[in-house]
Amino acid sequence: MKKSALFTVAVPTLLLLMIAVAGSQEEIEFVDNSDFSNAQRPPSVFRHEEHNEIAELEDCAECHHIYDDNGQKLEDESSEDQRCSECHESRSSGRKPSLTRAYHVNCKGCHLKQKKGPFLCGECHVKQ
Amino acid sequence: MVDVYTFVSGPLAWAAFTICIGGCLYRLISLIVLAYKKERFIFTYMSFSYGLRSIVHWITPFATENWRRHPVLTVVTFAFHISLVIAPIFLLSHIVLWEEAWDLRWPALPDALADTMAVIVIAGCIFFLVRRLKLPEVQFVTTASDYVILAIVAAPFVTGFLAYHQWVAYPYMVIAHIISGEVMLVAIPFTRLSHMVFSPLTRAYMGSEFGKVRMARDW
Ligand code: HEC
Ligand code: HEC
Ligand code: HEC
Ligand code: HEC
Repeated sequence: MKKSALFTVAVPTLLLLMIAVAGSQEEIEFVDNSDFSNAQRPPSVFRHEEHNEIAELEDCAECHHIYDDNGQKLEDESSEDQRCSECHESRSSGRKPSLTRAYHVNCKGCHLKQKKGPFLCGECHVKQ
Repeated sequence: MVDVYTFVSGPLAWAAFTICIGGCLYRLISLIVLAYKKERFIFTYMSFSYGLRSIVHWITPFATENWRRHPVLTVVTFAFHISLVIAPIFLLSHIVLWEEAWDLRWPALPDALADTMAVIVIAGCIFFLVRRLKLPEVQFVTTASDYVILAIVAAPFVTGFLAYHQWVAYPYMVIAHIISGEVMLVAIPFTRLSHMVFSPLTRAYMGSEFGKVRMARDW
């Protein structure tokens, strides 16, 4: 009796754990920094799904935005099929910030404004 | 913590830079006005070429008799001052913040080199401290304020080094680093750290007096 109880609890738990581990490997945990030539910092912590859940961000365009030629942000459209680095280059041009500045203004800017989330270098670029 | 950070990196940083630059200008202008009122002959002594000649000698390692006579002190002094000035200006972390705030950017030192320079500054401070404690001729001219100044200079580098490596009390270390940097900025115009601004002038004057008036070298 005891043995089968253990079985009915342990096996599904193990299975669930394995699924969870396998699933989380697909998910983003850090922002990829391979676009930066000679990156100097550890990549920034960013658990995409979990982050947007606890930060209650439903609008993907909050980060994955699209602007028209007049610099007007397009509502109801988003660019999650593109990487930030496809539009943001190593240097700023006009009102479009450089890639580093885009990340810092976007991430740290919101954290400071909402007074929630990390805002110090080492809280995002965590050394292992 | 957010509020502390926005305060020390916002209004407090503005105040520190304003006091530092404004204070240096004030000290500089009042020195010139005083010299003009009391010792006007100084201006007739001043010579651009003799002044520059002296400065160039004194900022070159071992180019003066005095530097050659104290080789260890010379090496430490140069390594210390170069690191002290260059590391904060060309530190990637600082440039990232200028970029964030003003969209300004200039080339950065690799982090590993800047890290070494911070260690050089800290080691230099320890060297100067030991020298003040041990050498009678230095001890003789040392006052309490000299130790305070050494601490003011060492603090931003010690906290910056520890914050960069994220070893202890990370968030507090960053706040301590920002505040200690601001203390140092404010101290520059009003303590002996003002030699940063004044030493080229006094050197130029010495060079001019020796070169133009006494027909001698001052190095
Ligand atoms: C807080 C900002 C933010 C929000 C909100 C956000 N994302 Fe992302 N997302 C990112 C960042 C940053 C990346 C990494 C981009 C890069 O590497 O260029 C990313 C990457 C992605 C990727 C690429 C994943 C991969 O494996 O390469 C997809 C797909 C994506 N996001 C979908 C979404 C969707 C759908 C939403 C809305 C439900 C959303 N994102 C909301 C910031 C955000
Ligand atoms: C399809 C191209 C494109 C993609 C992809 C893109 N951006 Fe942008 N982004 C722009 C343009 C264009 C501007 C300038 C808008 C303007 O004229 O004001 C901009 C402006 C910004 C700004 C400054 C204005 C603001 O919204 O505060 C930030 C920050 C920013 N982007 C961050 C990001 C991040 C982070 C990502 C990736 C998650 C990203 N961008 C992906 C095109 C893009
Ligand atoms: C629109 C607002 C917003 C944007 C943009 C944003 N964040 Fe956040 N983030 C939050 C909020 C809110 C929290 C705090 C959630 C909580 O703890 O309640 C948070 C928390 C975090 C945390 C700590 C929680 C965790 O998941 O470990 C990290 C790390 C983080 N953000 C990284 C990022 C990065 C990297 C970016 C840019 C790619 C980013 N954030 C962009 C709002 C935002
Ligand atoms: C809210 C999170 C966050 C904070 C706070 C933050 N960064 Fe970043 N930073 C990022 C993200 C996201 C990127 C994009 C690439 C990556 O993952 O490192 C980035 C990129 C960079 C890069 C370019 C890539 C590299 O490694 O050379 C540098 C340099 C950098 N950050 C330095 C800093 C410094 C210095 C600070 C503190 C003054 C800081 N960051 C604070 C999130 C953050």
